[in-house]
Amino acid sequence: MKLSLSWIGDYVEIPEDMDLKKLAYDVTMSTVEVEDVEYLARRFDNMAVGVIEKIEAHPNADKLRVCKVDLGSGTKEIVCGGINLEEGMRVAVACPGAVVRWHGEGEPVVIKNSKLRGVESYGMICASDEIGLGDLFPASQEAEILDLSAFDVPAGTPLADALDMNDVLLEIDNKSMTNRPDLWGHYGIAREIAALYDLPLKKIEPWQADVESDFKVEIQDPDRCTRYIGVEMSGVEVKPSPYKMQSRIWKVGMRPINALVDITNYVMLATGNPTHAFDADNISDHIVVRRAAEGEKLVLLNDKELDLCGDDLVITDSEGPVALAGVMGGAKDSILPDTKRVILEVANFESTGVRRTALRYDNRTEASSRYEKAIDPERCDQALALSMQYFKELYPELHVTGCCDQYVKKLERAQIDVSLAWLAKRLGKDLSNDVIRAKLELLGFDVEIEGDNMHVTAPTWRSTGDISMKDDVMEEVARLYGYDNFEATEFTTTFTGAINQKDQDLIRHIKEYLALRCGMQEVYTYPWMNDVYVNAVLGSTEGVLKLSTPPAPDLGCIRCSLLPNLCEAVMKNERYFNDFSIFEEAQVFFDRNYTSLYDETESLPEQRRHIGAAFASSVKKIDQLFREAKGALEYMPRYTHMEGFTFRKEEKPVWADNVVWLNIYLGEEKIGDLGLLAKKVSMECGIKNLSVMLFEIDATKLKPLPSRTNTFAHLAEYPETDYDISMLFDSDAAWSDIYEAVMGKKKASALLKDAAFVDEYRGKQIPEGKKSVTIRLTIGSDEKTLTSQEIENAAGQVMKKLGKKMGAQLRAQ
Amino acid sequence: MKDKINGILSEVKTKISEAASEAQLQNVKSAYVGKQGSLTLLMKELPHVDPAQRPEIGKLLNQAKKEVTELIDAKRTELKLKASEVSPDFDCSVPGILPAGGGLHPITQMCYDLNDTFRSMGFEIFQEDDITSEMYAFDKLNFPLNHPARESMDTYWLEGHDSGSTNEKLCLRPHLTGGSVRYMQTHKPPYRFVYPGRVYRNETTDAHHERAFFQYEALIVDKDITFTSGKVMIKSILSKVFGRDVAVRMRSGFFPFVEPGFEIDMECQVCGGKGCSVCKHVGWIEVMPGGSPHPNVLRAAGLNPDEYTGFYVNIGLDRLVMMRYGVDDVRLFHSADLRFLRQFR
Repeated sequence: MKLSLSWIGDYVEIPEDMDLKKLAYDVTMSTVEVEDVEYLARRFDNMAVGVIEKIEAHPNADKLRVCKVDLGSGTKEIVCGGINLEEGMRVAVACPGAVVRWHGEGEPVVIKNSKLRGVESYGMICASDEIGLGDLFPASQEAEILDLSAFDVPAGTPLADALDMNDVLLEIDNKSMTNRPDLWGHYGIAREIAALYDLPLKKIEPWQADVESDFKVEIQDPDRCTRYIGVEMSGVEVKPSPYKMQSRIWKVGMRPINALVDITNYVMLATGNPTHAFDADNISDHIVVRRAAEGEKLVLLNDKELDLCGDDLVITDSEGPVALAGVMGGAKDSILPDTKRVILEVANFESTGVRRTALRYDNRTEASSRYEKAIDPERCDQALALSMQYFKELYPELHVTGCCDQYVKKLERAQIDVSLAWLAKRLGKDLSNDVIRAKLELLGFDVEIEGDNMHVTAPTWRSTGDISMKDDVMEEVARLYGYDNFEATEFTTTFTGAINQKDQDLIRHIKEYLALRCGMQEVYTYPWMNDVYVNAVLGSTEGVLKLSTPPAPDLGCIRCSLLPNLCEAVMKNERYFNDFSIFEEAQVFFDRNYTSLYDETESLPEQRRHIGAAFASSVKKIDQLFREAKGALEYMPRYTHMEGFTFRKEEKPVWADNVVWLNIYLGEEKIGDLGLLAKKVSMECGIKNLSVMLFEIDATKLKPLPSRTNTFAHLAEYPETDYDISMLFDSDAAWSDIYEAVMGKKKASALLKDAAFVDEYRGKQIPEGKKSVTIRLTIGSDEKTLTSQEIENAAGQVMKKLGKKMGAQLRAQ
Repeated sequence: MKDKINGILSEVKTKISEAASEAQLQNVKSAYVGKQGSLTLLMKELPHVDPAQRPEIGKLLNQAKKEVTELIDAKRTELKLKASEVSPDFDCSVPGILPAGGGLHPITQMCYDLNDTFRSMGFEIFQEDDITSEMYAFDKLNFPLNHPARESMDTYWLEGHDSGSTNEKLCLRPHLTGGSVRYMQTHKPPYRFVYPGRVYRNETTDAHHERAFFQYEALIVDKDITFTSGKVMIKSILSKVFGRDVAVRMRSGFFPFVEPGFEIDMECQVCGGKGCSVCKHVGWIEVMPGGSPHPNVLRAAGLNPDEYTGFYVNIGLDRLVMMRYGVDDVRLFHSADLRFLRQFR
């Protein structure tokens, strides 16, 4: 919302020496955010009123003229293409240094002395839209120069002075005052400034109707319309309003229309209470405020045709609806070019009803946005008084022929009791009763103090919901005292033992393990998934929870697995990388087990926290990729101190290759899968050359151990020796079986400390159907240093056992 | 002859001490004690020497030859120890080999930094589910039915759960505060916890607007605390993020679930408060809302608002990370683009 400081000054006298930066700061700190302070005159720097003394033809251009313009300090030649130039005309001259927009469009341009088709021109004679005044002085045709002849000022007068633009505009953030309906107008802000600086606020004296007639207004729905004042007047006509009214309406961002409409807008901008004027000759019988009947129709001022419903409140005459209450007037019965008599509406409509109607027809207006904040009905008095003041000023022949004030539901002022001890505690500061009382009284509250109790009565303009409890009163005291004047206070500490959140820590340890130890990059993706990846990775979108208004039609599914989005991420990164690994930790959702831990009436779907990972490479072999992924999982429990996993082969994940996959188990419960993304799925995901190994585990099921799981073993007293053996096995022999045979319950040799997989090899020099496996044996004794013969013997026992159990043969060296 | 020997000896000593490489040393060796070396040649002249002097001269020559050989050997060892194992053109400006290159998401990093800070002040870390009911998203937070804010936070409702009463309507949480009510319901006061999480709004995206973004909520509820304690929380967050004390101000602001409510601004870190285009020339940047939980919110959590009060802040992690590093497009955070993510180590 934009506010004019000179307009605010109509209601509160702001000291001449007031620092406007400070004013903006104080209002921002205590009331609402002042986003910008604009010195309006700066827009018109280096612009002056010039008087055209002589117009001559341009020697080189038919459409251009060379004007001799009196600029007070001297006469200058200015080339101009305006079509309405006349000698003696007052015009706006943009002198060198002024900023204009060519034809009102495009980027601002700084005016310089220049030659136009060979003739020297001092600046330019402006059209209204070239200097941002298009809405205040609308041009009736192309290339029309702004004619300022009506402004009786001498040549050379700075344009800002001539047009009364020496004003300051305050831009206020609308969001910051949604809860303050009283601030939506110049009077409201003036009242706040008066309170902040303890300045006198000008009262708007109520207007008393002095007329007797049978003009009447009827309210049928007192809940939705608490007050309606209608004033019937004759002796008016459609004409321009005075320049001061027009310019003020323009300064704060609306457009002047004609005097009758301008008065209603001006009063709204001044008081915050919307008003409306009907053409009285078009209103048949009297005004009734009621709910619309289903099927009733109304054409609005903006030509929108509405089919009304029973929830809409309408202003009607005997022929039907003439206006959508609190939103917009009807086209037929509002001000028309030949209006001679008007009915002025100053009314109060209930906020949520106005809001519903405005939203229903997507027709939010300056009026509806004010009503929906909840305006107090007492404000009608100010709006009426100001309206009548301007009607009388603008129409000396005005004759009030009827007035009816239906005030069907008075607003009660909010009454609140506040304990002063409570207030002091919450403020963290002991303010004296006099200070508290003074601050509240400045804001229009009535205050009675008796002992510890302070009884506060809020002003009507703060009683529409804004002030309703003692915390509100505390805020009023604190903000007026100034938040800057409260020092930060340390919170009192109560030690209740160290915080030990194993579950939280485990997730963090896993993420740090994957990122920092396994060299993987954490990624974030959205909770919704593209149908393409859902279908490819999960098989179908069926049974997946969906959004009712998704970000895009194909993004409706919300994830029950992290893998589809990880596959998409792999696909997107393939353009730039050929070997990378990524992981994500996020929630997944299942359409089942609806329940809630917090409220028995609530039912939430099953939600779990998963960790998913993708290892993608076009340079590594699949067995290497597989061992990387499996290794990240195998060592995870060790590094993060949780219960360990086991791998089984029970149920192939739908997305996995037929051979390369494992299920991950924690005890007897399956908590995830590991596997190679099947070629078909990979292709459907648009992945071209990368092999992708995936895993996903349910982190909710992981069990953190109470402490670190490291164990200590005494250092070997006698040397241990690594001894590699390579043996030929059947091609389908499993390492787990080999290991079991060597290191299982009955160790192949008593001197064996460990057996580790080194590598396996199929191909050249290896018979068909066989593979060579290299095993590293660690051999040693706790009692003595072994001789090389003893070591050879131990290795021999291992080879013998493998030969017997697995049919393995020593590979010919 | 004696003089000749002594002359050669002093000459060879100088040459040995001057030798800079093994090759030079070798040359010295062959020039004096090699087959044609000058000492060797003198040896051959020995039979022509006066027999009376011969034994003395012979001894002298032998000593000289031995001394030279020893000096050369010593010098050779010295040169060996001094020399490098590689050739002198070894290029030390070649870059190092990067350790395995993984990383946490920049928002995770920021979140963990803040967690550490708050843990050290005795705060717990809380986490809640992403899907919630309208009851917890709005009712319990003092949003009246039909309140414009219910619409202003354009919410993602779940298909098949998007109508009916507010405990039946389900959505992706539009903010975290409803989850804080859940925490308070299930824990005993006083409370001191932080609550990081992702929230969702159904809006059009651009460089500054996202449909999914991260909030970090910190809440303290106790008897007898004042809103001014909140300043400590705010300062802790910002000094952790920016690595130094950051000036903050609290000003009047309105949010349905707090009373009083504040907008919290920090001094613009680009211009230091002087005013620049980043802060729209005011010197301050709005970073988070905050305030004391509204009595109705405390009631919803089962607390007596006459007894308990507190302070809450809710900070946008995405915005904080953007400000910290100068990231200019919020959508990068969910892009999973490794070119972006790998910049944060």
